Amino acid sequence: MSGNTTMTAEPRDRAGKGAARATRRSGRVPAVIYGDHKDPILVSVEPVELMRHLHKPGFFSMLMDLNVAGDHHRVLPRDVQFHPVTDAPLHVDFMRIGKGTRITVMIPIQVEDEDKCKGIKRGGVLNQVRHEVEVRCDPENIPDMIVLSLEGLDIGDALRISDAGLPDDVKPTITDRDFVLVTIAAPTVVKDEAAEAQAEAEAEAEEGEEGEDEEGGEE
Amino acid sequence: MLAPKRMKYRKAFKGRIHGNAKGGTTLNFGAFGLKATSPNRITSRQIEAARRAMTRHMKRAGRVWIRIFPDVPVSKKPAEVRQGKGKGTPEFWAARVKPGRIMFEIDGVSYEVAKEAMELAAAKLPIETRFVTRLGEEH
Repeated sequence: MSGNTTMTAEPRDRAGKGAARATRRSGRVPAVIYGDHKDPILVSVEPVELMRHLHKPGFFSMLMDLNVAGDHHRVLPRDVQFHPVTDAPLHVDFMRIGKGTRITVMIPIQVEDEDKCKGIKRGGVLNQVRHEVEVRCDPENIPDMIVLSLEGLDIGDALRISDAGLPDDVKPTITDRDFVLVTIAAPTVVKDEAAEAQAEAEAEAEEGEEGEDEEGGEE
Repeated sequence: MLAPKRMKYRKAFKGRIHGNAKGGTTLNFGAFGLKATSPNRITSRQIEAARRAMTRHMKRAGRVWIRIFPDVPVSKKPAEVRQGKGKGTPEFWAARVKPGRIMFEIDGVSYEVAKEAMELAAAKLPIETRFVTRLGEEH
């Protein structure tokens, strides 16, 4: 359970895109703290510190102690906006966590024991259907990640949410079915190889003909 | 090669590619992806060449997703033809790609294999690209 992560933030005065852009120009990332029936607080965070936390697994399930000029807030990162091209963080949403609340949070899935998986040894392919699972739980008991062992799985086998071994007070938000997390898919090498080789030969022959035509046209 | 099954209009305006991608900028399927960082038209031939380069390098293991589709017909006039007399005939299909667009995704292979495969695929494309990974995953 993550709970000791600390981060520092500085308050900022003005809201709106002009002020947010000015914050970004000054080398910081604008952020907001909201929730728990209190007024939102506009803050900014240091991008290097933010990126360090972002690159750790399970950033969105990381309960943080956010220090805003001496005031400590218990927060959970809820959203990060990224630049579409550079992937630099543009804005962060932090949600205040009050006492006695239950939250919905995405938990990352980690797969291990791939070397002990019978299906992968036989040439099967690991197909990770979900990289995260949405669960409802107490903020104090957010699982860091769901660890799935592939030991003994054969081609065609699947691991479902019931195999994840979630604690009793952590419930998935999808309750109507026992959904699949990972499967070991059959290899596509054998059956596709012949067909693909044929297709490639045909395509190359076609390309050759076209190339000759083009050359003829240019003359 | 990818091409639409049917079309509403046989010929399209050339147009210009302005601005950054509005959607399709994050990884949705795989753990690794190839992101465009400059705009251009990608032809169906280039998409197919990139896909082949990737699957061959991955020894047909893992899985590849193609996140762009060539839906713009590009016309061409025949060689040694004077200007005028109408627009040329559609020759090939292309996808308009804006900076930020995830074009390919890969999963089921290691970081090193995925990076090398994406580098080979990027060499087949007429644009600048960047290899991207899922945030928060250790490699």
